[in-house]
Amino acid sequence: MPTVAREVMETSFLSLSPQATIAEAGEVFRRAADTAGRTVFGLMVIDEAGKPVGMLSMYDIFLLIRPKHIHIWGEMEDLDVAGIIDRACAKAKQVRVSDVMTTDLITISPETHLLHVIDIMIKRHVRRLPVIEDGRVVGLVYMSRVFRRLLERLA
Amino acid sequence: MGIVDHQGVLKGLMVQDAMRRQVIRLDQQASLADAVRATIKYKVNAVLVNDAAGEGVGVVSKTDLMGAYYADLPLDTPVTAVMVGPPVFCSATDSLDDALDRMREHRIHRLYVEGDQPRRAAGVLAYPDIVGLLYRFCNQCERNLRRQGGGGTALADRFTLREVMTPGVYTHREDDSLIQVMEGLAAHRFGAVPLANQEGVTVGVVSKTDLIAAYLHGLPAAGPARDIMSAPVQACDQEETLASALHTMIFADIHRLFVYKQDPRHLVGVFSLSDAARIRSGTCRACVVSRIKIG
Repeated sequence: MPTVAREVMETSFLSLSPQATIAEAGEVFRRAADTAGRTVFGLMVIDEAGKPVGMLSMYDIFLLIRPKHIHIWGEMEDLDVAGIIDRACAKAKQVRVSDVMTTDLITISPETHLLHVIDIMIKRHVRRLPVIEDGRVVGLVYMSRVFRRLLERLA
Repeated sequence: MGIVDHQGVLKGLMVQDAMRRQVIRLDQQASLADAVRATIKYKVNAVLVNDAAGEGVGVVSKTDLMGAYYADLPLDTPVTAVMVGPPVFCSATDSLDDALDRMREHRIHRLYVEGDQPRRAAGVLAYPDIVGLLYRFCNQCERNLRRQGGGGTALADRFTLREVMTPGVYTHREDDSLIQVMEGLAAHRFGAVPLANQEGVTVGVVSKTDLIAAYLHGLPAAGPARDIMSAPVQACDQEETLASALHTMIFADIHRLFVYKQDPRHLVGVFSLSDAARIRSGTCRACVVSRIKIG
């Protein structure tokens, strides 16, 4: 059973540039899913110098797509909403990743103990943690992967 | 739920009937860049700043962030440098009318709703939140002219944009600098300004959101407004009904519409969701009594 982050982290992962648009990010999300063979819910944002500057998650994109006045909709039975999703997506596509990414990153080191990793995931409601060594991202620890390894011990 | 009353549609309603429970907040250490990102991501005009104990100490609005851009403050400056405090709170059980009066009195666009503990926000109330309620009452109103199926007569009897818009449009030239546009917006307390070309034809619009995004992207404020404008301008003819204008705003996810008279290239007024809330009446003439009283 692995005991530290280094042993469970994913070392091959796609990332985003902060200058990329949401349209470009969408393309990377799709590619990342194809590569990983599963849905990818979040990507690291890394600047030209290789420094992690944020994370873009599915939730960030949902927020961007959600109409400002969605709370009024319930009152407007007569509202014709045909085409409104396309409209919202067209607007979101042009936004830059750096405008909506989450910047208060919670990071760990390769030597962070797995029980600490679990503790952080519980307390901070995060599903993935970037592993930082010498200021660079060397891997990502996914909640699902930690759980899978844990299951082996729980058997 | 209040009673539909033609002396004032919102009578009997409380803040909790209209407030939003999701309050966007930052801590005092957050930077101006964090604040700009929060307003863009959550599509809000202002963010509450909390102290370490979770109590609201200030509010940072798009106007304040635009001021920071104008003053050329570095993006990593703490939000506390530009926030306005303390936030104005109300209670969830205050009447909506009182809350609107307080907003007008303080010349602010939102009130934070105090939860069980003092100075801790459990919700927020802004003008557009009230528009949903107006709609609900229109739909339930016995005197709703559209529900009566009056056909053409009923349509003609509804408010047109001409009657409810703010007449006159303040514009800038497309080659004016962002600095000039910011000065204009601040002086007139507007959220957006249309840009006109040499011939006086409207070619686009620059909003506070566009300006603070430019700030975040590091664009020089001396650059031309044209570089960051949105085009085409969302506009409606002044003879369109208020209900149709509200539909357009909801559909385009905007809260401001420019109004033209026959020719979309020449604007004659502006109408915002906040204006719709300030009218405190619905979308048809059944509400005319309350409108006259307040107006």
